[in-house]
Amino acid sequence: MTGVPLSAYLVLALVLFCIGLYGALVKRNVVIVLISIELMLNAANINLVAFSKFGVTPSITGQVFSLFTITIAAAEAAVGLAILMALYRNRKTVNVDEMDSMKH
Amino acid sequence: MMENAWLIPIFPLVTFLVLLLSGRRWREQGAYIGILLTLASFILSLLVLIERFKEPTYKVTIDWLSIGGTQLTAGFEINQLNALMLVIVSLVSLLVQIYSKGYMYGEERFSIFYAYLGFFTFAMLGLVMAPNLLQLYFFWELVGVGSFLLIGFYFYKQEAKKAAKKAFIMTRIGDVGLLIGVILLFWETGSFEYGEIFQAVQAGEISVGRLTLIAVLIFIGAVGKSGQFPLHTWLPDAMEGPTPVSALIHAATMVAAGVYLVATMFPLFLASVTAMHVVAVTGGFTAIFAASIALVQKDVKRVLAYSTISQLGFMMLALGTAGYVAGVFHLMTHAFFKALLFLAAGSVIHAIHTQNIEKMGGLWKRLNWTGPLFLIGTLAISGFPLLSGFFSKDEILMSAWEHGDYLLFTLAVITSFLTAFYMFRLFFMIFAGESRSSVNQVKESPSIMLLPMFVLALLAVISGYIQTPWFGTFLGDWLVEGNEKLLGASHNEGPVWIMFMAVFVSLAGILLAYMMYAKKKIPRDWLFKENSKLYKVIDNKYFIDEIYFFTVGYAIKGFSLFLSYIEKFIVGGLISTVTSSIEGLGKIGSKLQTGQVQQYGMIAFLGLAVLLVIFALTGGYLR
Amino acid sequence: MSLSGELIAFLGLALVAILGGVLLITLTKVVHMVIALVFTFLSIAGIYMLLSAEFVAVVQILIYSGAITIVMLFGIMLTKHQEREEPSKGRWGKFSLLLAVAGFAVAVYLGIYNLHIPVQPTTLHEENTKQIGIELFSKYVIPFEVMSVLLLVALVGAIVLAKKDDKDEEGDQL
Repeated sequence: MTGVPLSAYLVLALVLFCIGLYGALVKRNVVIVLISIELMLNAANINLVAFSKFGVTPSITGQVFSLFTITIAAAEAAVGLAILMALYRNRKTVNVDEMDSMKH
Repeated sequence: MMENAWLIPIFPLVTFLVLLLSGRRWREQGAYIGILLTLASFILSLLVLIERFKEPTYKVTIDWLSIGGTQLTAGFEINQLNALMLVIVSLVSLLVQIYSKGYMYGEERFSIFYAYLGFFTFAMLGLVMAPNLLQLYFFWELVGVGSFLLIGFYFYKQEAKKAAKKAFIMTRIGDVGLLIGVILLFWETGSFEYGEIFQAVQAGEISVGRLTLIAVLIFIGAVGKSGQFPLHTWLPDAMEGPTPVSALIHAATMVAAGVYLVATMFPLFLASVTAMHVVAVTGGFTAIFAASIALVQKDVKRVLAYSTISQLGFMMLALGTAGYVAGVFHLMTHAFFKALLFLAAGSVIHAIHTQNIEKMGGLWKRLNWTGPLFLIGTLAISGFPLLSGFFSKDEILMSAWEHGDYLLFTLAVITSFLTAFYMFRLFFMIFAGESRSSVNQVKESPSIMLLPMFVLALLAVISGYIQTPWFGTFLGDWLVEGNEKLLGASHNEGPVWIMFMAVFVSLAGILLAYMMYAKKKIPRDWLFKENSKLYKVIDNKYFIDEIYFFTVGYAIKGFSLFLSYIEKFIVGGLISTVTSSIEGLGKIGSKLQTGQVQQYGMIAFLGLAVLLVIFALTGGYLR
Repeated sequence: MSLSGELIAFLGLALVAILGGVLLITLTKVVHMVIALVFTFLSIAGIYMLLSAEFVAVVQILIYSGAITIVMLFGIMLTKHQEREEPSKGRWGKFSLLLAVAGFAVAVYLGIYNLHIPVQPTTLHEENTKQIGIELFSKYVIPFEVMSVLLLVALVGAIVLAKKDDKDEEGDQL
């Protein structure tokens, strides 16, 4: 059986990661930035799962770790949104480029 | 008793500290502290003086600093001159403080005034007790500070502020001379101790030229403090202080310091003929110069101020003509009658609230006590026979005559004529003639002010008898005892006619003043008109202040302006270049800090990408 | 390489995933972007299936497509956002970023290209959930517990942060 090679999964993960990175650095809306970061985490998860099957020593560990990563991503999304709400209440905006109180 | 003499200056210092720290609570009661402590000081001084009659000079020193092989000492010394000065200073200070209790009554900063008086007295007592030049210099400067505080006591008055500043700066000029002189002396002899210095001088270790230089420099210090020409201008302005302060400054403390300095360093001056001559000429010139200004002044305190300058000139003249005893003698008698005159003038001012003698007159009947007291002081300073000023002035004239300086002698005679004239002009304008001020306001001063004046009047009458041609030269014998070689003769013998001439001259002055101002037989402008040029020149004190203003003042201003331009354009330019360039750099840096998180992330990522690409292309460092 | 079913499935899923990502970048409405990303998350779940990770795939659908997307939509709704996403960066900024991303991708791709690992038979697909459970509660029990604490902390933190602070607002008015 000629399956899909490891490199295909890795390239897919790479492409998704790049898309997420670009989005995180370009988009103005904080929600979109957060979602882009989630996408990057997903790309990393794909790598973990792929290596758990096609790695040098295949084992279930990769999948377990991807579960941990998903958990952390969920926590991060929750906290990120809470920060977003607090910021929005103070600054009345969700645009990243207007949140420049670190200036000077 | 002499071993406890160090307590004498401590008492006024305690006054100063106590009143400064807690004076506000006590207010008027603070005066008692000052008076009592100064009284203690005075009694101790008196005991020391009495003991000094029998015992030799007492000197205590402790090592203060040792630098290499040089020992600097601190301590005190009681010799004849010191003991005498201690009594004069503490007595006059005591009387002035008693007087101020009445004069300054109701003053807001009453206790502060007493604190300053205590400080001033402390400084002067410390000055006269100093056993070496260094310690003397310290107290010399403290006296300057004390005078500054007291002259500027009414600091809210613009003139008082200016006068205090002027006094401080003018005497400072003299102080620089003194400091250089002291340093030079230390350089030459390696010691600040009087004894060692005089020994070195007598042994001829210092060349005459250098000695003259040192003596003149030290004399400059005395010129500044004692208000001699050309540094005299601060003294009349110092009249802005309260009148008791004037009495203290002019009679016993500040100006006496200069004369005391010359007297203390007398052996040094004796060793240099030129220096002696400088002292004598400065003194003689100052005497007649100030007397001429006093002729036309209209402010009672200013007349007295110029008369002080003139009398100090007499003392310097005496010292400069080797009349050590005469100078010190006159210092003592002058302290008494000048303090008396100032206190009496203060009493007059207290009664009619003006200092302008044109507005006074006819007060003889209204001020039953002040009038006669003022008269005694005036007679004493004029050299009226049998009063103290008569004897001391005689000594000076004799000294000048004996020294063979006939020009200075003539100057002195003319000056004593002028002194008698202007003092009686003052007296008659205040007390004779019709009353010019509103009648009801005039009332005699309280007895607390009169009492010190009585004491001083008594002393002004009798203090001359300790050194007379008739009853013995007790003071002179005592002063030079054991130091005949260093200090010269105890008494100056001169022709008998000098005494008669002195009497004649002073009587002539009195008579002229009487005719002009009391009887008005001679019109006041018979000699020169009030608007003549000469009158104007004298009235403006020979324009000395203006000359200073236009020469020294402008020179310094010009130089300062030059420096300020250097500061502004060269130094400031350099600094602003540095700062602005750094500021520019900082601005560029802060421009980079946009606060845009994504921008930061992008730049970080760009860096990572570049590194990765380089890594991918080259295959890494380790390959 | 013949077209096996696995490959077809992979290609389809990968296409949808990348398409969703591209739509995330190109769409202008914020809500649309999030919806587009849901497709990506779902197809990633499919990818997990292909990698014989059924449990992870289900978790992916539950958490990403479900929870996180909903939370994000709530975030969008609770904040007044501009409907249309305006481009924020200048052209140069975007271009250089694109260049950097491309460079990064090429560099990493070179790494992937040079990676050769022999395929070994695995038993991951057999009772996948049971295997994960055994691992999680034996070998990784401490990280698991730590993770639960982390979630609790995130929960509390999120509540504290998002809570409307009445006292502070009163304080501001004073």
